[in-house]
Amino acid sequence: MPHFFSNKRLIILLVSIIILVALIGFSMKKRESLTLPEQFLKDSAGLTQTIFYKPANTIAGFFENLAEMKQLYKENQMLKARLDEYAKLYVQYEEVKKTNETLKAQLDKEEDLTDFKVREATVIGRSPDQWNQFIYINKGEKDGIKPKMAVISPQGFIGKITNVSLFQSTVQLISDNDRTNRFSAIVQGEKNIFGTIEGYDPKRQALLFKKIPVDAKIKKGQQVITSGLGDVFPPNLLIGEVIDVEPDEVGLTQTAYLKPSADLYDLDHVMVLEREMPAVDESLREEEEE
Amino acid sequence: MKKVLLPFLIYLAFISESSLIQAFLPQENSMDWQLIPRFSMVMILFIAMYLNTTYGLLYGLAFGLLTDLLYTDIIGVYLFSMAATAYITSIFSRYLFGNLIVTLLLSIVGVSILEFFVYGLNSLIGISNQMIDEFLYKRLLPTLILNGFFAILIYYPYVKQLNQLKDTLKEN
Repeated sequence: MPHFFSNKRLIILLVSIIILVALIGFSMKKRESLTLPEQFLKDSAGLTQTIFYKPANTIAGFFENLAEMKQLYKENQMLKARLDEYAKLYVQYEEVKKTNETLKAQLDKEEDLTDFKVREATVIGRSPDQWNQFIYINKGEKDGIKPKMAVISPQGFIGKITNVSLFQSTVQLISDNDRTNRFSAIVQGEKNIFGTIEGYDPKRQALLFKKIPVDAKIKKGQQVITSGLGDVFPPNLLIGEVIDVEPDEVGLTQTAYLKPSADLYDLDHVMVLEREMPAVDESLREEEEE
Repeated sequence: MKKVLLPFLIYLAFISESSLIQAFLPQENSMDWQLIPRFSMVMILFIAMYLNTTYGLLYGLAFGLLTDLLYTDIIGVYLFSMAATAYITSIFSRYLFGNLIVTLLLSIVGVSILEFFVYGLNSLIGISNQMIDEFLYKRLLPTLILNGFFAILIYYPYVKQLNQLKDTLKEN
């Protein structure tokens, strides 16, 4: 190969590497909103994705159903047993709800931090390279969706909205390894134990729940929920279950491994939650910025 | 084949990646292989091999940018990787005779070059934390098999169309 690295080509290669580094640097900054051409591209791709996704999903679902058919009997028995439990729980729930309402009425407290508005959306695609864990949903700015809203599946918390175009939006799953993808969470128990969810360990197929105080005692099987302290997500959304606890590399804190309660690989219909009451007054924050 | 049809076909392959990935994902209770569809890349590699280097490079740039904008958060990784892969593959193809086996081999080489580029860049930025052995066995190998199958599947109809297109390009 005589002309593989002639002078001209070497220069082009160097220039393109410089451009590459510049582009990566530019896009690593967290941008609040997308530029117009980006929005247009995403919208038009979203349209084609919608057409494609339905048949692909139906075919995949058919094979899955066949595999599930075997376990149907066992599952049915288990569900029947659960149904009895449910009736009991429902009565309890109604009672608690009523007392809660009367107590709230006594306090004149109408809005609650835990209130949120729910919007349903359908998944239309997923990022094909597994480095980025994004899914795309068919609701966008037009439906009132804004960045940073929490997204849940019926089984639990799955991620947050990162960017929005007119007709579709992107959801960053909790398993994404981005360094800004962090959530404040608590381990449910007698005492609340705080920590942050930081990324995913693909080897163990578990979420990493870090920065737990070293003296906190966590047992396997305890459930982890969002704390709601970050001012962004509603509290009490189920994230997962503790499967293992280890001291971290330095030994100052602990790291727990969580099995996500929602199946992050099998997402179909999701719900976008909007917090009804902002935890901090907006006007206060503006003053602070000034 | 008309010239306008080509980008449209690749776009279809590109969009189908995001739908098909849902079917290839590691489900519970099965092997945790990562099958990554790189169908648009394979189609661009064919262009780089059978049409000419410039076309391959341009398509690589265009669809790399599209991948960056639509499927990732960072602009530049695929833009660079896909264009470079198309270029390198077209250089290789100049010294090899184009038949099914050689094309399959070059597609596999191309897809692995792309995977290595993207893996390297993503590790550099901090998006991926996969170990190299895990990357080789659980990701690269299954991905190459999947895309190899795709290359065989499209070989006869697609190459025929590309050759026709090449003839019309020569006439003009």
